[in-house]
Amino acid sequence: MKRYDLIVVGAGPAGLSAAIEAARCGMRVAVFDENAKPGGQLFKQIHKFFGSKEHQAKIRGYKIGETLLAEAAEAGVEVFLNATVAGIYLDKELLVQRGEVMEHFKADTIIIATGAAENMVTFEGWTLPGVIGAGAAQTMMNLYGIKPGQKVLMLGSGNVGLVVSFQLMQAGCEVVALVDAAPRVGGYGVHAAKIARCGVPFYLAHTITKAEGSNCVTGVEIAQVDDDFAPIPGTEKHFDVDTICLAVGLSPMSQLLKMAGCNMVDDPRRGGQVPQVDENGETSIPGLFAAGDVSGIEEASSAMIQGRMSGLAAAAYLGFLSEQDKDNRLADLEIALDSLHQGMFAPGSKGKTIAKTDEGIAVSQSLLKKGYLDDADLERFINRSDQTDKKSGIHPVIECTQNIPCNPCQDACTRGCIKVGKTITALPRIDAANSCTGCGMCIASCSGQAIFLVDEDYAPGYASITLPYEFLPRPQKGELGIALSRSGRPLGYAEIIDVRSAKAYDQTTLVTIKVPVEQAMTARFYQPETNAAGQ
Amino acid sequence: MKSINDRSQDIGPFVSQTDDAIIICRCEEITKGEIRQAIHDGMFTVNEIRRYLRAGMGLCQGQTCGKLVKNLIARELNVIPDQLDPATSRSPMRPVEMKVLGNEEVAHV
Repeated sequence: MKRYDLIVVGAGPAGLSAAIEAARCGMRVAVFDENAKPGGQLFKQIHKFFGSKEHQAKIRGYKIGETLLAEAAEAGVEVFLNATVAGIYLDKELLVQRGEVMEHFKADTIIIATGAAENMVTFEGWTLPGVIGAGAAQTMMNLYGIKPGQKVLMLGSGNVGLVVSFQLMQAGCEVVALVDAAPRVGGYGVHAAKIARCGVPFYLAHTITKAEGSNCVTGVEIAQVDDDFAPIPGTEKHFDVDTICLAVGLSPMSQLLKMAGCNMVDDPRRGGQVPQVDENGETSIPGLFAAGDVSGIEEASSAMIQGRMSGLAAAAYLGFLSEQDKDNRLADLEIALDSLHQGMFAPGSKGKTIAKTDEGIAVSQSLLKKGYLDDADLERFINRSDQTDKKSGIHPVIECTQNIPCNPCQDACTRGCIKVGKTITALPRIDAANSCTGCGMCIASCSGQAIFLVDEDYAPGYASITLPYEFLPRPQKGELGIALSRSGRPLGYAEIIDVRSAKAYDQTTLVTIKVPVEQAMTARFYQPETNAAGQ
Repeated sequence: MKSINDRSQDIGPFVSQTDDAIIICRCEEITKGEIRQAIHDGMFTVNEIRRYLRAGMGLCQGQTCGKLVKNLIARELNVIPDQLDPATSRSPMRPVEMKVLGNEEVAHV
């Protein structure tokens, strides 16, 4: 039997963060993960994260994963891959399958960070090949470089459904529709806007009634639902697709905690069966902790903080960290975690209808129902006196209309044009006193791709719009394509007048298009003409 | 003890539904109708359904259908799903070949 001070089960964001903190306190730490690669879901997250600097905002998930792995190695954490924890027994003993052998390990503290599994919904044909989880689609695309299909319908408008829809398009798939039984988009409006302006139609208050095909998916039928989520006859619509992606929530993989004998609760707001834990993740069994999605579904940024907290608490439990040091360091992490739990999408806001932003502006119903801001919303959000720079020349237009915990745009602008303030959920404001140089750092720093640089005076009768572009191939300067509106409607020809990439932009390409000046506030995306011809 | 353990309660007759043929447990290929019938046969807990039908006993160990089965039971018994206990968690957590499970390394220091 091999012994450690701490064994962490799960090498995802929570588990690795816990292991790093504990090892830095001097503990001997082992991490077991059943997968061949560490990092949990982090290496599938190719988008930039939200949050503030201490949450590693604007850094892409896979890079955060690389950093965590390097930190774990440096701290002396032993990471065992292809190591499946088969059981947990009295006095913190673990049975682990490694290859063809079952091994026993014992630790003085254990942190369970096993994450979550995808939920499924049933409909006629849901077991056909081609019906996959959104996480599976991400694994295929982002870990193995395999396109899940050609034409995809996404069910689920939470952040997972929205982010994966965008990634599917980045991988070259066509997303024919985004469907959700709920009457409103569940995830961030900025994620929805990103896919709406590519022309993906949103069907809220709709559900899948059947997957068509005999040996594999060849089509899908959706229908509108009534207030009881029952399909309304006569509202059926058909789409030709080869893939149906399900992003209908996650369930904590908490079986090890249940087997260990922790007090469990069934909490639908946390995703299902979860352990009762204190603020540092300690369960009803002293020295046994839970961190990350296994103790309640959130996202990677909060999982990393929770992991660090339970790592420190485990170190203090064994005396590797004085109580005072523990309290000091936990206090900082609690503040960081608390700031992620603010705003419209805070855990406490789940299921509530929010009518106004913290600033008192009526939220965009169009964004919640169709995925994009309509003209009336522009008047409220974009053309506000504190939102526009009335001076002539290039200026940022920020289409960020929900209170989400995110503020990198504020630091990105070295000229001080953009202000979020101390409350990171506040909507960014434009400070018209400072003038924009058009450097584009704000565009690249916005994880929601919601910042554009507009110059109404580019040329007589023409405006220039600089927009974030994360598709390949990159457009070329001089190319002629189609300008798309926020809803993905073609507005007319647009000429590419500049294409900028820089290391500081972190793979986001800044594409500047020239459009008739009346489209300055309507054109928000660019489509190469070859794609347009195919539609 | 939860009220669902009152086996004398009348949950009404089994009424077939149009989508009873839908598979709920993919691994063991158990349909919605079979699970609903089992509830009317007196199987009021996830564990009982497991033992009676093998739903949730296959390769994924109920990772996919666990919630679905629980929701079906809740609907038939007219209770909220949170009131139902999930299936017992026990080792091995993941499917493992018997030759591997029996191959314990004991002399590890």
